[in-house]
Amino acid sequence: MRGQITGRLASLVKRSSKSAIEADGPDAALLADLRSALAPDRVKMDGAQRSLLGHDASVFGGGVAGPVCYPVDAAEVSAIMTIAEQHGRGIVPRGAGTGLAGGAIPLGAPVVIAVTKMNSILEVDTENRIAWVEPGVINLDLSKHLASYGFHFAPDPSSQQVCTIGGNVGNNSGGPHCLLYGVTNAHVVAMEVVLASGEIVTLGGLDAEPDGYDLRGAFVGSEGTLGITTKIAVRLTPNAPSVRTLLLAFSTVQAAANTVSAVIADGIVPAAMEVMDQRITIAVENYVNAGYPTDAAAVLLAEVEGLEGGTAIDADRIAELGRENGAVSVRVAATDEERALLWKGRKTAFGAVAQIAPDYYLHDTVVPRSKLAEVLDQIYEIADRHDVLVMNVFHAGDGNLHPLIVFDGRIEGTWDRVHAAGGEILQASLAAGGVLSGEHGIGVEKQQYMSAMFSDDDLDHQGRLRRAFDPACRANPGKVLPAGHSCADIAALRKVPSGVWG
Amino acid sequence: MDLKLDADDLNTCVQCGLCLPHCPTFRVTGEETMSPRGRIALMRAVQDDGVPVTDEVVDAFATCVQCRGCEPACPSGVPYGHLMERTRETLADAGAMTPTWQRLALKPLAYPAMLRAGSKALSVAQRLNLVPARLGLSEEIPFSQEPLATSGDDLFLFTGCVMDAWQRDVHASGQRVLEAAGFGVTPTNDLAPCCGALQAHAGLARDTRSLAEKMMANLPAGGGETPRPIVVDSAGCGAAMKDYGHLLGTPEAEAFSARVFDIQEFVAQHMNRLPAVEPLELAVAVQDPCHLRHVQRVHDATRTVLRPFVRELIELDDDGLCCGAGGAYSVLQPELAGQIRERKVASIERAAADFVASANPGCSMHLGGVGVATVHPMQIVDRGLHGIA
Repeated sequence: MRGQITGRLASLVKRSSKSAIEADGPDAALLADLRSALAPDRVKMDGAQRSLLGHDASVFGGGVAGPVCYPVDAAEVSAIMTIAEQHGRGIVPRGAGTGLAGGAIPLGAPVVIAVTKMNSILEVDTENRIAWVEPGVINLDLSKHLASYGFHFAPDPSSQQVCTIGGNVGNNSGGPHCLLYGVTNAHVVAMEVVLASGEIVTLGGLDAEPDGYDLRGAFVGSEGTLGITTKIAVRLTPNAPSVRTLLLAFSTVQAAANTVSAVIADGIVPAAMEVMDQRITIAVENYVNAGYPTDAAAVLLAEVEGLEGGTAIDADRIAELGRENGAVSVRVAATDEERALLWKGRKTAFGAVAQIAPDYYLHDTVVPRSKLAEVLDQIYEIADRHDVLVMNVFHAGDGNLHPLIVFDGRIEGTWDRVHAAGGEILQASLAAGGVLSGEHGIGVEKQQYMSAMFSDDDLDHQGRLRRAFDPACRANPGKVLPAGHSCADIAALRKVPSGVWG
Repeated sequence: MDLKLDADDLNTCVQCGLCLPHCPTFRVTGEETMSPRGRIALMRAVQDDGVPVTDEVVDAFATCVQCRGCEPACPSGVPYGHLMERTRETLADAGAMTPTWQRLALKPLAYPAMLRAGSKALSVAQRLNLVPARLGLSEEIPFSQEPLATSGDDLFLFTGCVMDAWQRDVHASGQRVLEAAGFGVTPTNDLAPCCGALQAHAGLARDTRSLAEKMMANLPAGGGETPRPIVVDSAGCGAAMKDYGHLLGTPEAEAFSARVFDIQEFVAQHMNRLPAVEPLELAVAVQDPCHLRHVQRVHDATRTVLRPFVRELIELDDDGLCCGAGGAYSVLQPELAGQIRERKVASIERAAADFVASANPGCSMHLGGVGVATVHPMQIVDRGLHGIA
């Protein structure tokens, strides 16, 4: 941007010498090719950009970005893919960088493809109830745009105010309201995808029952390892005529968890059921002042949607079931503002933890709903044993736990305890019949645990699926599948060039 | 390099990214170096990891509008504005930011005679079509005008530097509204030439501190039961003056800052003292200046004040995103400022209002530069009360 304040002032501005990397053999040629394919100012190679794009919102560091590209259309993405292939380099797609499993961390100095400039809502087709969007469109922007048509995009991750639709597709993202509506996979009908070869293909279609194998379904949740989306057809969900939001307070976390199971067992499927324990509730309330009861051991935020009569009955019944399970108070949001404030609290919970400690490590396991209370007990016990502080905030309705270990990484030995506790939490969840990740993805975070979940045969077959899309494994190398099950990943991981901050 | 940032303040950021969509430069570029999260990571890299302060790092800091829209969005309460001001101060001291021509350009603000002479020259130049469009001067700068007269000593009305030279009619409206509410007004005129906000934004906090001390000495609390309020009709100035307590770190400065009110904030507390009038046949869109909404956080007062005086109040649909004015930002970073403004103008067009009410001179000039009809909220109230302005 310095160029923009220049003009005749340019001579007044001190300029430092160019980064050493640009003169460095193979990167210079790669860079020249990328700059001729895109506008030169949309291919960045400076230390500031590369250092910032070396990590995402996860606790994992150690990524090193190669050239950072900001394409504006599929043709440019395709050109980047082709050039990267010619130079034997991997590519990493990146949206808003809010991932919590390290999925966007560049390993081995790949070309980073940031889709944030591809952020147009291309078409809203209310007759077919779909919208075509570019991958860099922000999730909440889409729903706000659709509001005037009476629709929204149902998956609503807590980071929805910033995360991108492309990232949602890559991670098959969930969110509180996916309890009723299903996760991203249920809301993406077709995609334009650029494969690692540079080929542009369309997966899925607008027909209700497309023929052949569901390659669209295979792509959703592939965390950038099968290619990169450049256009996405999302399903529009009508806004409900009536919404009721309840806040129930409990004197134990287990009572909240039991209420959740009781509601589902009763035959009600609320739009959302979210639990926060006392520690996280205090942090959240301190930020939003929504009137969350900070003296309760846990709160349950439950929301029902539908026709007026139905939501009234369901809300009463949820309150009743809550009291039967020990709820000490039940509050119903009286206005839209009150409801919005309660949700703002829930959705900013992770960011609020810095009030307590500067680092957090967030897990994402899913357990059978009936085992929620039991696994929560174990999580608190594991944390105590490793002397780390754990907070629980989770999508209770579908058993998706988000144990949040908060700590100060500057204190020596903390990381070891955090990792040990995290590993045990994962094992406890798997032992209860659960899975590694509900919605954050595997990334680099849970790779090492994939073998605990899948047999070698399973993993080999997943590797074959991956290679069908990307034979050289150059798309997001080093992610998801553990080493040994993913062909030439290692080849795509280039030695880190000199002069990068890391 | 030691940026002299407090380690605990830096560590309040957990890099979650919830600030990104609330940052105007990230919104228009999509680049991490143009986001609050990215800029904080660079502060850490420079201060903690010894990363060199390259052109790109300086640019990341220099392109920040300092709108502070990221602060209310941050669940962990990162004091971003103070971190950025301190970073710029350290870099300016080291000669890495704010070149001499910028320092010289800011000098006259503190010297009313110099500013008036400069303004006269600019006014003549404007009439001779010698003023480059990039300065964004939408209105004709008055050649000469009478200073505002004192009507009593209930409160001070802060008149400031550029605004007093170029938009004194806004002060006049504000004074008439305050008088209609029964207050005797002392315009500060040369008693308090400048608040120092632009200097603090440019990393010249030392100049701001000396202006603050001068102002505190010249605007005494008086011997009354309640200390004399200092009412400010420029959101940017009000925010800076409310920050003197932090800037100087003394109890006197704290006490001074506690006397500072935005004019909408002050009038909203005294609405019962204004006569009831027929609302004007106007649909007015409210554009919240960032330093009113994100820093002072008293933007609701604008609505309270305007509601009885207009037929319709319209909210913009962009969640209070910055307009790109940013004090001197629109002159220093014209391209980014223009892109940011395009978003704001699109939102304003969707609102389809007769006027846009903006309580900050920088915003109204920046928006006026592309033909948006802006007025200060006090001008609307004045017109409602007196049929003038």
